[in-house]
Amino acid sequence: MSSGETTAAAPSVEAPPVDGAQPALALRGLAKRFGLKVAVAGIHLDVPAGSFYGLLGPNGAGKTTSLSMAVGLLRPDAGAAYVLGQDVWADPVAAKRLLGVLPDGVRMFDRLTGRELLAYTGLLRGMPADEVDARARDLLDVLGLVEAGQTLVVDYSAGMRKKIGLACALLHAPRVLVLDEPFEAVDPVSAALIRDILQRYVHSGGTVIFSSHVMQVVERLCSHVAILAEGQIKAVGTLADVRGGRDLEEVFVEVVGGRTATGKELSWL
Amino acid sequence: MTTARPRDIVRLKIQLLRNSLRGQSWRIALFLLGLVIGLFVGFGVGLAVSLTGLDGADPATSRDIAYLVAVLLGTGTVLAWALFPMLFFGIDETIDPARFALLPVPRRVLLAGMLAAAFVGVPALTTFLATGGLAIAAGLRFGPLIALVSLVCVLVGLLVGVVASRALTSALAAMLRSRKMRDLAAVLIAVLASMAAPLQWGITALVDSGSMSRAMAISRVLAWTPLGAPYAIPFDLAEGRVGPAALRAVIIGVTLAGLLWWWSATLESAMIGTTAQGGAARAATPGGAVGALIPRSLRGLVRPSPYGAIFAREWRSWWRDARRRASLLSVLIASAVVPIVVLFTPFQPVVEGAPTPEPHRLIVGYGVTFAGTIGGMLLANQFAFDGSAHAAHLLAGVPGRTELRARAAALAALTVPLIAVITSAVLVASGGADWILAGLGLLATGFGAAIAAASLLSVLAAYPMPDVNNPFALNTGSGSAKGLLAAVAIVATIALSSPVTLVSMLLDGLTRGIVVLVVGVAYGVTAAWLGTLIAGDALDRRGPELLAAVTPRR
Repeated sequence: MSSGETTAAAPSVEAPPVDGAQPALALRGLAKRFGLKVAVAGIHLDVPAGSFYGLLGPNGAGKTTSLSMAVGLLRPDAGAAYVLGQDVWADPVAAKRLLGVLPDGVRMFDRLTGRELLAYTGLLRGMPADEVDARARDLLDVLGLVEAGQTLVVDYSAGMRKKIGLACALLHAPRVLVLDEPFEAVDPVSAALIRDILQRYVHSGGTVIFSSHVMQVVERLCSHVAILAEGQIKAVGTLADVRGGRDLEEVFVEVVGGRTATGKELSWL
Repeated sequence: MTTARPRDIVRLKIQLLRNSLRGQSWRIALFLLGLVIGLFVGFGVGLAVSLTGLDGADPATSRDIAYLVAVLLGTGTVLAWALFPMLFFGIDETIDPARFALLPVPRRVLLAGMLAAAFVGVPALTTFLATGGLAIAAGLRFGPLIALVSLVCVLVGLLVGVVASRALTSALAAMLRSRKMRDLAAVLIAVLASMAAPLQWGITALVDSGSMSRAMAISRVLAWTPLGAPYAIPFDLAEGRVGPAALRAVIIGVTLAGLLWWWSATLESAMIGTTAQGGAARAATPGGAVGALIPRSLRGLVRPSPYGAIFAREWRSWWRDARRRASLLSVLIASAVVPIVVLFTPFQPVVEGAPTPEPHRLIVGYGVTFAGTIGGMLLANQFAFDGSAHAAHLLAGVPGRTELRARAAALAALTVPLIAVITSAVLVASGGADWILAGLGLLATGFGAAIAAASLLSVLAAYPMPDVNNPFALNTGSGSAKGLLAAVAIVATIALSSPVTLVSMLLDGLTRGIVVLVVGVAYGVTAAWLGTLIAGDALDRRGPELLAAVTPRR
């Protein structure tokens, strides 16, 4: 592992404006390479406060790497990330207080029951015990995890893990939610529930940015969209801007550069 | 399209081995280092074996010693081959039968291929070199013909071990579907493994204390089991006993056939792999979520806070996580075994009728300190137990000191009272009751110094543990090198604790007890406080790097 200290901001990187129109999340030239492979090639992104932001990209586009650097889980090679103006890497404590995160492909403390895990997360965040109790009860109830609250998380299904992970991210009522693939492996009923919760959260002034490669979900929920491929942002803007009156899937495939039709290649099939 | 041959599976294993080394010079270096050490140890043992008993003045005794060494070493090797993969190295997952489930490979081919592949690698080569010394010994003693027989027998012994290990793991894979069973098995095997040390010590003690006849009796029995039989055959033939040799060969043959059949019968279910089963709900606890995490029994120790939460989770994890429970039990057993071995091992020949000599102060002092040290060393790779779950701590911004101190306190609350009771009992049993107070002080010193060393090590030299359901899977390669670092740290810790250990040797009686207890506790607490302070600052700086280090690579 490289022993990089806090990354110095590159000269071209400037902090986001401090006036009223401060973005909820601002990425400034974030870059990361693993060995010879460039995972993220310096991305700039402004997620406006109060937006429902979809980060789209094919597998291996660098979505998880970008979001991990944005929330302080992976140290970037260059660039900076700001949550409501707080520098994630220079002042992590202040930035992390504003953030709720659902990472993807990350284990949980799965030898705790769902209820214990919520209590654990709340106490780690320094919340008072009675508040943790009340909110944990609400969240388990709404997410349909009351029964499962007594079961060890290690025995949960993939969908239940997503739900308890989301509950952990919401527990301290963060201003900004960063969700990595929140709808993966979730059944349609739970997905509808999660969509509902997130929409209510945005209506009440919160900001959500989530990664996905399911166009229908993004089209239905998002106010803004960014398409990431090969570690670079290929298209960005409001949903209407990016779509340009077309189908989002069509735009996505075109921007990413995939093939849309097969010719005679698989004639033997 | 042609069907697969066993050769293809061997080639696959070699290719996988090569790929795992590719592009990472440190891995290649580690691999080569392992190879050199393995070959060196193997060769050394082999050479030592081939020379044992040769200088004996009395030919009968010299022959007996050679027989003893051959059968005991052989049995140990076969047993180690059968059990070690599960204990220390994990099942060799490079050739996992589950990966062939969807391929049209005939079972016979798969069996032959996996068997051949098991012989490819450092462990097989090293074992062969070590036991190969028996063939050289046989040659020196009985001539070239018997040497050849012995060589064949050594290979057969290795074969028994390899087939037994394959059959066992394959059968267990079928049995260990549920997490409960897997957890149980991991603990059971860890306990058995910790028992191996006292067993070995017992045999050594038997031989040392001049009970040759008893050791001979044991090895004669072992020579009729499939484990020891291959190694007794050369002696039978050299001394003209064809009948027993033939009978032993039959025993081996039947065993091999039986094991192969068992393996082949369980292979299919092993190929299906483990399926997840829903776990049972725990008994509902009244009260809120926080009350469930920090039950009333822990309320006396911690309050609801980040520190309290980590303490409570660690407290539970040591029992709920099979891997941790296994290490915990092993350490508790070791904390009893080590002082026993040290205190009861006679350093002068035992004279019949004479009183047992009083254990040397140096030995008592260091034995007890060591018991405390290994307890604290459980934390040497503490962040890897939960792998990438550490992300939650990063996201919540838990201060490094709080984190490390809560973890250390939970382990201390769990183990120190137990180790103290065990060590005191050992001291009383060995006639060192006047050492109890000083012993507690030494324990505190060893434990505290170990917490300091382990905290630093766990932050600066963390390595991932595999993130799989198989409790026997431990990773090879990078882990073992850093595991060695922990061994070095144990030595360093004992050196660090030396001031208190020395004080314990210079004083006597109640003065010794009180002074060592007070000084020892103060020393231990200070060491742990300082260690977690320094390591905590390092953790604050290196959080993301630590997360990456303990996240298993897929």
